Amino acid sequence: MIVCVAVVGHQNNPLYIQSFTEADDALKLHHIVHCSLDVIDERVNNPKKSGTTLNEAFLGLLYPTVNYKVYGYLTNTKVKFILVTTDLDVRDTDVRSFFRRFHAAYVDAVSNPFHVPGKKITSRTFAETVRDIVRSYVLN
Amino acid sequence: MGREVAESCVDTLLTETVSMYCDRFYANKPELAARRIEAIGYQVGHQLSERYTMERPRFNDHLEAIKFICKDFWSEVFKKQIDNLKTNHRGTFVLQDNRFRWLSRVSLDPSSSEKETEDLSSSGESKAAQAVSMYLYFPCGIIRGALSNLGIPCAVSADISNLPACSFVVRVKA
Repeated sequence: MIVCVAVVGHQNNPLYIQSFTEADDALKLHHIVHCSLDVIDERVNNPKKSGTTLNEAFLGLLYPTVNYKVYGYLTNTKVKFILVTTDLDVRDTDVRSFFRRFHAAYVDAVSNPFHVPGKKITSRTFAETVRDIVRSYVLN
Repeated sequence: MGREVAESCVDTLLTETVSMYCDRFYANKPELAARRIEAIGYQVGHQLSERYTMERPRFNDHLEAIKFICKDFWSEVFKKQIDNLKTNHRGTFVLQDNRFRWLSRVSLDPSSSEKETEDLSSSGESKAAQAVSMYLYFPCGIIRGALSNLGIPCAVSADISNLPACSFVVRVKA
């Protein structure tokens, strides 16, 4: 199940981070998200020979830790989405469709004229939409 | 999803925005009004580029981003593509639209503006040109906002030497 989603801006500033489990330490999840930013930078700056093409938004599995898998997604505007999940067998297509819906929710949140680009996303609608997306993902 | 609005509402909003900023908020200070309108355009362009780059793979270089602006972005916002793109390959791009949608209803007759006894044609033309140029700060801001969001800081200005064609000059900051 998904334990954490995060949105990080193009200067690696956190825009939204939400964990979905009370058991795990939120700080540990923040730390995992932070470390995965380095992996993203590495992937983007060194084009991989195999696997993802250079220009695809979905970056795939960034790195597996003992308990978690971390997936990344990089938009055209250099905004990064990070997904941390504890599922052991995760289908690629499920994660891609998750990120697609998440991207749509993010675009809607950013189109809010009261949102200041670069600051944290404070929209309640966005938080609810994300919660719905996570909940529907778990049911698959 | 997406609710739709009549295009005349957009035209009216733009006309009113320019009129309010030039005549009420910053009367007699056209540079400040222009800057404020351009800043609004910047935020709009920023948000629009977020939405219109959603399905696309990432861009490799500046030229691809400018081509995106000329084709997909322009057709989403103005329902047509840019007619001509020129570049000097050193960071300057000229985007020419032969019939800019937001200027399509602007009167081209300089004598309809305020008349003076001498130098009628030249002062009439320059007043008309200045009036029209106020309407171009908003689209310049939109282009600048969209490009900045794609990682290309730049300065955008508009050239209206032959209406209804309109050229936008983009200078990429090194």
